[in-house]
This record gives sequence, structure tokens and C-alpha cells, in this order.
Amino acid sequence: MDRRQLLKQAAALAGVALQPAISIGAPLIAPKPRVLVIFELSGGNDGLNTIVPYRDDEYYKLRPSIALPKNKILKIDDEWGMNPGLAGMKQIWDRGDLAIIHGCGYERPSYSHFTSMAYWHTAAPNSGDPYGWVGRTADALAPHAPENYIINIDSSQSLAVQSKYHTPIVFDDPSEFRRIIRNEQLAAIPEIKIESSQANLSLNFLNNIARSATASSLKVRKAWEKYSSPVDYGVFSSQLDKVAACIAAEFPTQIYYVAFRNNAFDTHVHQVNLHERLLTYAADAVRGFLDDMERLGMADNVSLMMFSEFGRRAGENANLGTDHGTANTMFFAGKPVKGGHYGKTPNLLDLNDTDNLKFTTDFRRVYATAIEGWLESQKADDILKGKFQPLPIFT
Amino acid sequence: MPRVKYRFSVLLLAFLGTINEGVALERLTVENWNASNAKHLLERTGFGSTPEEIHQFSQLSLKDAVDLIVDGPKNRSKKFDDFVHSGVFDVGLDPFPPSRPATTNLAKETGAALGIKVRPDGNRPLQPIVDKFFYWLRASRLETDRVTQWWGQRMLVSDYPLQEKMALFWHGHFATNEDKVRDYRKMLQQLKLFQSEGLGDFRTLMIAVSQNPAMLMFLDAGVNIKSAPNENFAREIVEIFTMGVGHYTEQDVREAARTFTGWNFKGLDFEINTLEHDNDSKTFLGHSGNLDGIDVIDIILEQKVTSEFIAGKIYGFLASQKITDDLKAELGVSLKSKKYELKPFLKDILSSQIFYSSPVLATRIKSPVELVVSTYRKLGLDNLPGTPDFNYTTGRLGQRLMHPPTVAGWSYGRSWITPSLIIQRSNFIHDMLFPDIAFIPWDRYPDGDNSYSILSVHKKVREGLTITDATKADVDYGEAALSNQPDRNEEFNTRFGSYRGWQMAIERVKPIERDLPAINLTDMILNNGIENTEEVVSYFVDRFLSVPLDLSTQKSLSEFLQNEIGTRQISQVAGSLEYPLRMLLHLILSLPEYQLG
Repeated sequence: MDRRQLLKQAAALAGVALQPAISIGAPLIAPKPRVLVIFELSGGNDGLNTIVPYRDDEYYKLRPSIALPKNKILKIDDEWGMNPGLAGMKQIWDRGDLAIIHGCGYERPSYSHFTSMAYWHTAAPNSGDPYGWVGRTADALAPHAPENYIINIDSSQSLAVQSKYHTPIVFDDPSEFRRIIRNEQLAAIPEIKIESSQANLSLNFLNNIARSATASSLKVRKAWEKYSSPVDYGVFSSQLDKVAACIAAEFPTQIYYVAFRNNAFDTHVHQVNLHERLLTYAADAVRGFLDDMERLGMADNVSLMMFSEFGRRAGENANLGTDHGTANTMFFAGKPVKGGHYGKTPNLLDLNDTDNLKFTTDFRRVYATAIEGWLESQKADDILKGKFQPLPIFT
Repeated sequence: MPRVKYRFSVLLLAFLGTINEGVALERLTVENWNASNAKHLLERTGFGSTPEEIHQFSQLSLKDAVDLIVDGPKNRSKKFDDFVHSGVFDVGLDPFPPSRPATTNLAKETGAALGIKVRPDGNRPLQPIVDKFFYWLRASRLETDRVTQWWGQRMLVSDYPLQEKMALFWHGHFATNEDKVRDYRKMLQQLKLFQSEGLGDFRTLMIAVSQNPAMLMFLDAGVNIKSAPNENFAREIVEIFTMGVGHYTEQDVREAARTFTGWNFKGLDFEINTLEHDNDSKTFLGHSGNLDGIDVIDIILEQKVTSEFIAGKIYGFLASQKITDDLKAELGVSLKSKKYELKPFLKDILSSQIFYSSPVLATRIKSPVELVVSTYRKLGLDNLPGTPDFNYTTGRLGQRLMHPPTVAGWSYGRSWITPSLIIQRSNFIHDMLFPDIAFIPWDRYPDGDNSYSILSVHKKVREGLTITDATKADVDYGEAALSNQPDRNEEFNTRFGSYRGWQMAIERVKPIERDLPAINLTDMILNNGIENTEEVVSYFVDRFLSVPLDLSTQKSLSEFLQNEIGTRQISQVAGSLEYPLRMLLHLILSLPEYQLG
């Protein structure tokens, strides 16, 4: 255990928060909000070749051609090694800032990207919900829906952030988050009425959104134009630099949602090099992002959660790749995180009827950890519609 | 048989229903029927209307107008053709295995799959089968885009728009996604079911949907067998399709699943696999016996909550999502008293005072499909343009037909609007009025979200690289050319298959015509005897908006137009009006007000 870890534990024991205390009489500085960043790896990341159980002979039996040899992996302890692409994550692990949660999944798994991702987005496996779990979290935490509470950086809004009260700011390319307008029209754009007394509540709502669109699109564009960072996010920043730009511009945003898109992790064929490269992109981006938070003085206020809609088949396929699977590893990264292993490892000798891992940790326990442990809300049961014991990652 | 008993109870309740007819659905009085209410009626029951249609309907009595809308014209003008298939389906493609590995495993076990035999020898003996697998994935998706283009055209020109509007409602209610169904024929078949039965009675529709191949495929009916009942199908029926959460137990779901065991399909036909059907006694919502799926549906329909759930949802779709418990109860009684017949129920809603009351009028946020189609309809177009692309545009705005986000369908209402989406709505109007000359048909050009490295494989194959090198995603092609590796000996190459499948698909799927909207605002203005800039603004506002626009905004917009054309009198500049008129219309249709209907 390193020094900081000790300090954290001591602080926890003493019951004091790590946030700078504000004494009465001192000038009031608003405490910085706790920010949750969710990073989705779409396509089904191969968990077994991400965090490798290199002591387990069965792993090598199941994957004679694509298992990662012991001398190639980045060993993190006597049992586990990281994919060589995860050099960035290894640094985070070495700092004690990475939690690896094993065996995350749910009952009666779906092997469809679409269906399983919808389950993860809504936290409603084998069921449906019109709102996403992030949206429901925001609704519970801030029912009055302050502006810019959720930012989702993507070409379309994720179901995960669909909310009853909030209007997530959704954009992809900040420079494209703008209205197409001709120069002649600029001066003639009608001003949106501010009075909210009119009887038509839908129109009030639309006016609010339109105003916030005008304001937030400009803010986002300005934040992005102003942002520059010496930190290296690697080849492919996965929008995390845009999150940093918003944080640097002191956005009041509590939850950011980004995705490694286009089903990229769907590695059915020739996966070893491709998978390593994808993980390099993801890990370098995460490491870069956390370094950037350190630079911005926000490291104590930001945690990042990473997940994928499913893991992959335990055994390799005929194409030097892997097919859709079930249980998978999830991650929390950041200075507030108590690094280490969580959850129980699925047994490679005890696979299900489709030769997949049996899950050991309901993924909603990890969501509950984000909601209760990190965002400090007691409403996880309501949000997740059931009791899910949080993991002690933020204690 | 219990079925008879349920029918009887429905009748009994129908009788009670007539006694309990409440006040909320009181009819609109004759003197309150006018052109503005006719506009509202047309907006909600269809996809917008032109001033000519509004005038025509306002001349009818309320009853005649509502009858015409709900029953459709007696002699329908044939304004659209049946869907023209490209001819992409081949024998052997159905049943389509659930995945590529399942396909190749089948080929290895049986020597053939998808109607193609495994090659006896040589490298990649399974390659043609893998090619065919990806061909169908792509072809079915592209053909589905043609189905939705065809549907959009029907929405645009139909003289019975409520038929299309209710089909849209049921498509969201019985949400089914082509991504999982993977067969445009089944999606088209389901759409036609919604078009033909969407205004019939809910019992018939519910049974038809639960025996519909697309739905059975979507909800994994194939794996719902006696020895291992799958709850997916039964759960959606009780939860999403009929009663809503909280009106049944988990045990009810499990028992209902047993009643649907063996329900399956073959090709486009429903089929009960009697060997896989569970004939033992089940207990569902307190009713016991050897129930089958239809018994379960009848038991569900008998529940008070079902009629309220369905009636409330239809009301929410056509009138307002704001609905009191009293109103919901009354709507439920109305639907049940009509034995779930939708036409008389819809007439109740559309003739009611509340439908024309201020909490309902012009408070509904148009869905993306409604926004796009009604804009074209209000412009008087008779052809759904191919540019901007209908599927791309509506998808970007959050409502790609045949691809609802989850089994729960679209949420409607405020969920359509985000800050970036309201900007995107304005940008759609812009690109409709000022064509994007950089437009690339996204369905034919493998770039962006679904590219699967196809362009890179394409390039490398044409450069003479081996299939092995051409399909290594992580090797750039200069590097691969240097390495000069021999082609790998393997059963098949998936990435090459997805490339080859794409080629085969675009060869056979008919292209969507990329015509631009035929807009002529100059004629629209001049033919309506409009003389000055103020009149232009008020004409556009009346024609396109459902809510009034304050006078100061109207004034500044007319000043904008006057400034652009250099005069207040438009007849002086008739030949150079089009561009300024389009800028003006873009400003008006970008207003928050325009999102309401």
C-alpha cells in the first residue's frame, strides 16, 4: 500500500472527507463537484485477453492460438497480467488507482450487441425501461435538472443518458455542434422568448432547450477552442480530451458519457494484434485523461468507469478471434479509487451451456458503486429498481 | 373452454361501460367546430396538411370529418404502389442462422448452409457461405431502408393518413428491430399487418402480432420450448404490450411463457410446434387449466388495467401525454365497451371536447418522422425526396424506422428534443431548402458507423494483396505489401466475407433515387395572391405553424425579407424571390414553435 492509499484509509477511518474543508468565516469556495465519467467499449471487449489469468492452464487450453503468453503480458500480481496494450492502465494500477471488477454480467445473457447493450444502458436486463440508468441517476440526484448536468459526447444520444427531467448535452464534433446558418440570416434569427408564463408548457420546454442549445453549443465550442493540453492521449482520444475540455472550462457537469464507437471491440477475426491496438488506444486515452485531471487540479474529483456490453467466448474460434460472450471485467480508474481486484473470478472449468463464463457479479452492483460510493446518493435501489450491494471501491 | 367465458365477461363489461359513460369524453359542440380545429385534427391524425385540405375538412360537420378520417375515403384514390422488391432473397437464406459462427458450424456439420454447399477442397472452402451470410445481412438492411422509404412515401401522399399514423404507433408499441430480425420480408410483413389491422380491433391485432414471424424472431420464440421455457416473449406481452409493469407476478410470467411454448414460425408463416408445446395445467392471473397463448391474451384483455393501458397510450400518442387517472379510467371503459374495436374508440377521442382543449392543442412535439414527412406534406410535395436521405435524417434525429432503440420502442414527447437535436432539426430544414452538394449515399458507401474496414479491404484487394494481408486491419498496406506473406490457409475469412457481401448486396438492391425536394416557394406565394412581405410571413406562419407567432417576431422577419429583396412589394421582384423566401422559411421552421403540432 502506498502512502496516498494509507492517507486515504486514515481519512476514511477518521470520518473526514478528502475534499478541502471549508471553515466558517473563510471565503466561500464552492466545493468542486464529484464527476463521473463513463467510458463504453462497444462491440464486446474480450475480458479474458484484457486481464489475463496467466496462472490458469485452462486459459491456455481454451485459446491455443490467441492466448497471451506469460512473457508478453504485463504482470500485475501472482495471478493476473495485463494485455501488453494496457501499458497506460498498468501505470494507473501501479499508482493504486485502478479497480478491476471480475465476472460482471447478468442472468440469462443476451448475445446480441443491440439487446445486451440496451440492457446495460437501461440496467434492466431481460426487461425494458424508457430511461437510461445514467438518466435515472441524474433524475434522482438533481430532479430540478440544472443545465449541462449530463454531457454525452457522441453522434447520437445514448439510451444510457435518456432522462425524464434532464436534457443531456449531446454533441460529437464540437465544431459541428452548431446551427447551419447563412450570413444574411444571422441578424434575423428570432430571439427566443424568456417569459415562461405562457400556458403552452411544451413551448416553454422547447424554448428552454433552444436557449440552452444556443448557449451550450457556444460554450462547448469555446471550451474546445480554448482547451490545449500538453498531455498525450495517444493515437485516439475517444472523446476523453473533449471531456477534459469541458472540465477545464468548469462546466457544472456531473456525469460524462463517452464511447469507443462503431462496435470496434467486436474481434471475431485475427484478434490478437487488433485487440492489443484497441486496448492501447483506450488505455492511453484513459491514462492521458487522468494525467490531465491531475494537471487541472481535478484528480480528486473525477472517477472513470469502463465497461462493454459483454465479454467474449471463453474458447477461441476458427478465425483466430472470439465470438460473443457473457461475463466480463469492468474498471474504475482515478485517484479516488481504491485500487485492487473486486468480485469473484469466473471459473474457466465451469462454463455455461454456450461455453461462456458464468457471471459472478451483477453489473448493477458496479453501477450501485458509482451511485452510492462515488456520487454519494442513497437512491441506488430506486434508480436500479432492486437491491445491489455496492463494492467497497470508494470507502 | 375458458375462452367463451371471457368473451361473455367482455360483453358484460361493455354493458356496464355504457352506463358509466363519463364526462371527460363529452363531445365537442357544433359551434366550436372550425378551420383551426380541423387543422388540429388533420395534424394529429396524419402528417400535417395543406390549407386546401384544411378548408375542405372545415366544410364538413365534425362527425363527417371524424368519420372520414377514421374510416378513410369511400373510394380511395390509388396514389401509391405496392412495395417493389429488389429481388434479393434466395432460397436457403431462411431460416437464417443467428450468427456467422452458427452459419459456419452448420456448414461444417451438414456440408451446406444458406443454400450453398461447402467446397470439396482448396483454400477457404467455406468462403462462399460466409460471403452469402454477409450479403444477406447487408441486403436485408438496405432493402429495409427501401421499405421505410416506401412507407414514408405512403405517409406523404396517402388519402387515409390515419392508417399510416396508427401503423407508426403500433410500430413503436410492438417495437421490433431489423438488426435482430435480419429479414426485410418479415419487417415488411409486420408493417403491412400494422397498416391493415392497426385500426381494427386490438384482440385480433394482439394475436396477430404474437403470431407474427418478425416478432417471434425478435423475442426469441424459437428457444421457448416445453423443456426450457423462455420468458422473453411472455414478459413483453404482459409488460410492454398490454398491462404495464406491476400488474402480474413473476410466476404469472413463467406460467404465460409455458402457454406460448412451441409458438414458432417457418419462413413467413406462423407455426405451432406441438411437440414443444406444454400441455400441462398452468395458472395465469388466477385462471387455471391447459391454457394456450390465445387464452392468456384473452385473460389479459379481460383485465381493467389492459384497456386503460392501451387506451391511455393511444390517447397519449394522438392527444396528450398528460392524462389524469379519471380520464384514463374513462378511456379504458370506452375502449372496453367497444370490445377493443379501435375505430369507434378513436372517434370518441377525436370528437371529444378535451381533444380540442388548450392543454392538448399544439402541445405535442412532433416525432422526427412526423417532422420530416409533415414538412414535405405542408410544402405540397408528392414525392418523398431521396436527398436529404429519409432514413439517415430521421435516424440522426432519433427515430430510425424499423430500428427502434429497445423493445420498449420510442419514448415520444420531450425525449425527442435535446440541445443538439433541436439544432439538427433546424439543420434538416436547411439541407432540405439548400441541397447539400457534398451528399454521399450512405447506404452504398461503406464509411462511418458501419464501415467494418470495407473500404480498406477493397483498396488492398484491388492492389493485388492476398486476402490474408488485405484483411489484416492493423497492417497498413505499404507494410503488408513489403511483408509479402503467403496467403493463410483457412476455412474462410470473415472480413473478406463482409467486403464481398457488401459488393453482392449493392449489386442486387435497387438504389434509392436521390432526387431533391421539388420546392417552389415563389409559386406558392404568388399563386396565393400575396402582395407584400408582411403577408408572406403571415402566410408561412399560418401554413406551417400550429401556434401563433408574436407580432414583433413577425415584423422583424418581414423586415428581413424586405431587406433581402429590396422592396415591400413582392410582385416587383417575382423572378428573384426564391432564395430570400427559402432563407425566410428556414428561419421560421427553425423556431421552437415549429416543433409543435
